[in-house]
Amino acid sequence: MIEFVNVVKKYDHGVCAMDNVNLRIDKGEFVFLVGPSGSGKSTFLKLMIKEEEPTSGKILIDGKDITRLKKKEIPFLRRKIGFVFQDFRLLYDRTVEENIVFALRIIEASEKEIKTQLKTVLQMVGLTGKEKYYPNQLSGGEQQRVALARALATKPPILIADEPTGNLDPKTADEIFKTLLEINARGTTILVVTHAKDIVNELNKRVVALDHGKVVKDDARGVY
Amino acid sequence: MTTNTYLIKEGYDNLNKHGSKTVSTMLIICATMLILGIFIIILQNVNKNVETLRLEQGLQAFIEDKATDEDIAYMEDEIRLIDGVSQIEYMTKAEAYEDAKSQFKDQEYFLDGLENLDIFPASFIVKFTNIEEAERITAEVEKIDGIYKVKYNADTIEAVISISKVANYFLLGVGIVLLVVSVFIISNTIKLAVYSNKREIFIMRYIGATNSFIVKPFIVEGAIMGIVSALISFIVISIVYIYIYSAMNSSFALGVFKFIPYSTIWYQILIAYVALGLFIGIFGSGISLKKYLKV
Repeated sequence: MIEFVNVVKKYDHGVCAMDNVNLRIDKGEFVFLVGPSGSGKSTFLKLMIKEEEPTSGKILIDGKDITRLKKKEIPFLRRKIGFVFQDFRLLYDRTVEENIVFALRIIEASEKEIKTQLKTVLQMVGLTGKEKYYPNQLSGGEQQRVALARALATKPPILIADEPTGNLDPKTADEIFKTLLEINARGTTILVVTHAKDIVNELNKRVVALDHGKVVKDDARGVY
Repeated sequence: MTTNTYLIKEGYDNLNKHGSKTVSTMLIICATMLILGIFIIILQNVNKNVETLRLEQGLQAFIEDKATDEDIAYMEDEIRLIDGVSQIEYMTKAEAYEDAKSQFKDQEYFLDGLENLDIFPASFIVKFTNIEEAERITAEVEKIDGIYKVKYNADTIEAVISISKVANYFLLGVGIVLLVVSVFIISNTIKLAVYSNKREIFIMRYIGATNSFIVKPFIVEGAIMGIVSALISFIVISIVYIYIYSAMNSSFALGVFKFIPYSTIWYQILIAYVALGLFIGIFGSGISLKKYLKV
């Protein structure tokens, strides 16, 4: 599903953010990507969605080398990858429903699909009944659920969550991870960048650790 | 709702979202369009009057008194053969007297008692296909036997033609300046719209929006501003023109100058305004999107 082959990323200012990284994540896996600040986690994610180009190496998503993609093909790559941010990145002048529909409009979904998907994802993240609320009327955890729903609305086979619980209290964070596990159980490949040590240790999933741009640990059932 | 309908709606919503900026932009566009419109109308009127003058102008070739009917027929044939002559009309002495009378209008009494004095010579009124050829034709007519004098108002016509040429160039210059100003204003407004929608655009890119999906609402926003400004300007200029037309054409202040009836130019102005509005809107927003969205 996701494969990094000899990936090197050197920035113009000389920093080597990816130092010959080889990593394979299979379909349906749940992977934690951990490491200290500056270890290369963000670069890893940016390379996946082609926001950055590798200096050398190949990146395969769904068997296709994305380093060879043309500019106009990038949006279609990104439709395969749902993205959830630490700060939710919601549109605060739009309701929950409008935030989710916004994503569906972008992929040019039909009216029927929009209706069905809206209902499905709201149920999936447990926000049924809150369609007409504005993000500011919701708790942090609920806002992150809206972000999750928006990311899932387009049915991406891969979901990336960048510090999804960084701004949440432990109880809410647990709930978000519970939801992520449920989504993973439905077949979505999930890659979570996190510093939430306790949760990583508790869930006992695959853990990939990066440091100075290198994979320093890759345990199938690891801890932080 | 289809995707395009949605994008048009987004563009329209953007206009509302940036309300005061939208209004001020449209006011400035309207002002530039009105100035441009006034110049276009003035020029159209000048050109139309010059054109009428060109068509009406001709020379008057006076025939010697001793000329017989055969001589007159010969002269007429000779004139007709000159290249560039479009029309030739023979004016008898009696008609010349009537013509003089009509020019004096209320002071006809000046001519009382002159009708039998045979002081008005017969003449040919010759019109040209192209006024630029006037001098050559005048010279050729002068050479014909039996013609003793040719009257041609060269200075006035040339002055009018050169004024009209200068006015055309002036309008072109003003038009270009105003166009650049309008494009700049719209492009600046769209730049601000892009900045205020930065968060939205960021999210759109992450979700997988194509470039055209991202830019269309801004293009719609620019186009709506352009078209609405065009329509407002059209209404204002129509009212002003109709008022001036009725006020000025009923007075003699302008002499021979006649305003063109609005019914013959309104659609040209409307088409020009809408086309201009669309161009300014789309081109202006396009510049900003290329620069700030890097599409």
